Amino acid sequence: MPVHLFICRLCLAGAIAVAPVAVLAGAPSLSGIVTSSDGRRIADAVVFVQSPVQTSKGAKPPQMVDQVSKTFVPGLLPVEVGTLVRFPNHDQIHHHVYSFSPAKTFELPLYKGEDAPAVLLDKVGVVKIGCNIHDWMSGIILVLPSAHFAVTDANGRFVLEDLPPGNYVVAAWHAQSKLKPEEAAQSVTLAHEPAHLDFTLPLAPARPRPSVHGVRAER
Amino acid sequence: MSFPRAGKIRCGFLGCFALSISAHAQYEPDASAPVWIRALLDVRVVGAGPAPSWTEHGPGEMRYGGSYTDAGFERATRVVLSQAALVVGVSLPWDLRAQAQVNVQPDIADGYRPWLVEATLRREWGRADNGWSVQGGVTTVPFSLENTGPAWSPNFTISASALNSWLWEDISLAGLEGEWWHVTDAGLRMGALAGAGYGGDQIGRLLALRGWVLGDTMGGVNGTLALPGTLGRTDIFVERDHRPSVYGLLSCADASEIAGLSVGYLDNLGNQNDSGVWRTHFTTVRLTLRLPLRIELLAQYLEGVATVRAPPNDSKLSAYYLLISHHFKQHRVTLRYDAFRVRDTDGGAASTGEHGHAVTASYQVQFGLRQQLAFEYVWMNSHRDTTGALNPTPDGWQLSYRFWY
Repeated sequence: MPVHLFICRLCLAGAIAVAPVAVLAGAPSLSGIVTSSDGRRIADAVVFVQSPVQTSKGAKPPQMVDQVSKTFVPGLLPVEVGTLVRFPNHDQIHHHVYSFSPAKTFELPLYKGEDAPAVLLDKVGVVKIGCNIHDWMSGIILVLPSAHFAVTDANGRFVLEDLPPGNYVVAAWHAQSKLKPEEAAQSVTLAHEPAHLDFTLPLAPARPRPSVHGVRAER
Repeated sequence: MSFPRAGKIRCGFLGCFALSISAHAQYEPDASAPVWIRALLDVRVVGAGPAPSWTEHGPGEMRYGGSYTDAGFERATRVVLSQAALVVGVSLPWDLRAQAQVNVQPDIADGYRPWLVEATLRREWGRADNGWSVQGGVTTVPFSLENTGPAWSPNFTISASALNSWLWEDISLAGLEGEWWHVTDAGLRMGALAGAGYGGDQIGRLLALRGWVLGDTMGGVNGTLALPGTLGRTDIFVERDHRPSVYGLLSCADASEIAGLSVGYLDNLGNQNDSGVWRTHFTTVRLTLRLPLRIELLAQYLEGVATVRAPPNDSKLSAYYLLISHHFKQHRVTLRYDAFRVRDTDGGAASTGEHGHAVTASYQVQFGLRQQLAFEYVWMNSHRDTTGALNPTPDGWQLSYRFWY
């Protein structure tokens, strides 16, 4: 794995681990599994506290979506609303990153390296990003209302660390989910012990745009 | 202010509905459109050297040339539509990707007839660091290091090098190719590509009869190119012997693609027993280096042979270029040195011999999101045996405005 890719993944892991750091350290956690309607465990689902909204205290650490081998890394980045996201390009070719999503519309004209300015994501919702040169490049930044969120691993597991005791509405999101997050949301009461909560999301088929690699993509 | 009960219910319902719609849209990613369209428009002001261009059957070796007068040749400045390109792509079931490109190049095509530059169906397996692909359809060989801009236009300068100008104008094949790529644990990126396609029976004829030129022609399967004097035009896609051309490319680079080396080979396997079929084969070596300070260095060499049973036009072909480019924010400055040669190997009344070299300086600036202004100055010194005293030492400039979508 290239070093910058490794560092990027490390940053992402750190970001995901740090983001839910709670307002109250040492509080119980909420864990569970996200499965599809046919029982398969779903990776890359995002589980987040929908209400009450608890935001980070202090400045939010900037996040990053890298471009490596004509791919957005990570392909899915959940962030708290108000987060700055950078889009470095570690390919040796230019990319032209854009989003036409209602939650954030922006374009970063052709650039390489660290030339592009960071983008402030100031509205909750899905920000779907693409590259105007390489039409198959696609990524999602999920801008969430609260600081408490987690991404499921390959086994569909998630852990929301350090949630203070209380009543919560917890929602689950996936790019292919047929349910709105609020339709999948569940109420949970946390006392001083860790709690468990599972989600089932019916998924639509994935339709990514076919990619181009190799010599034919040397542009 | 109070609402009647029914009104309150209706308002509440509408509010919930609006909220629901809003919330749904908020978290719903737009599906990737299964069809996408790209376009490129290139309009130029050109200050051409005195010799009329090859596109007008003249001896000029650049895309735009001067005009004929009673006294000979005269420099000309004009505004031209250089290129309008349309690229349409479609996502198909089974992860298939279809893409087609048509170009309008009025001066080269001698009219506004669109040329089909590319029409391919592609499927990939694996990932960026380890995978393989199969692609079928009409396209050229993927040997150019320069044609990496929108709609395969030259990326560093307005005119590509003589070497890559020829690859893109003269080779259009209908066939199948496969490619494999892999990044080793040691960080070496390796690739191998092999393909075969019909339509290459006259590859090389253009260089023997017309010689090398600098330009940005996008050859098409239904296109024809001008030949000097009274020779008329030559088809780009010609299949007479029903033998496919074969080609391959082996490449290696570091994982970050800072340095890369590749070797390509094409042999059209032409059967000269069939009338008008040329046998042409060549090898090209390509080197790319991404140096500090945003400097890119490109070098490419090509050497080959083009033979035909009659008339005596057998030729040895060679060309190379060195290109250095600095890119900072929206600015790019490029300097390129070209050298090219055709050696007549079988004599005959009309020698195909030619030798020359050129220096190209270019500055590009992008403004807005999809627009570019570019200025290029080319100085060329060349000699062709057939044109003799008409040999100009052309120089010329172009100011190009590009809009792409």
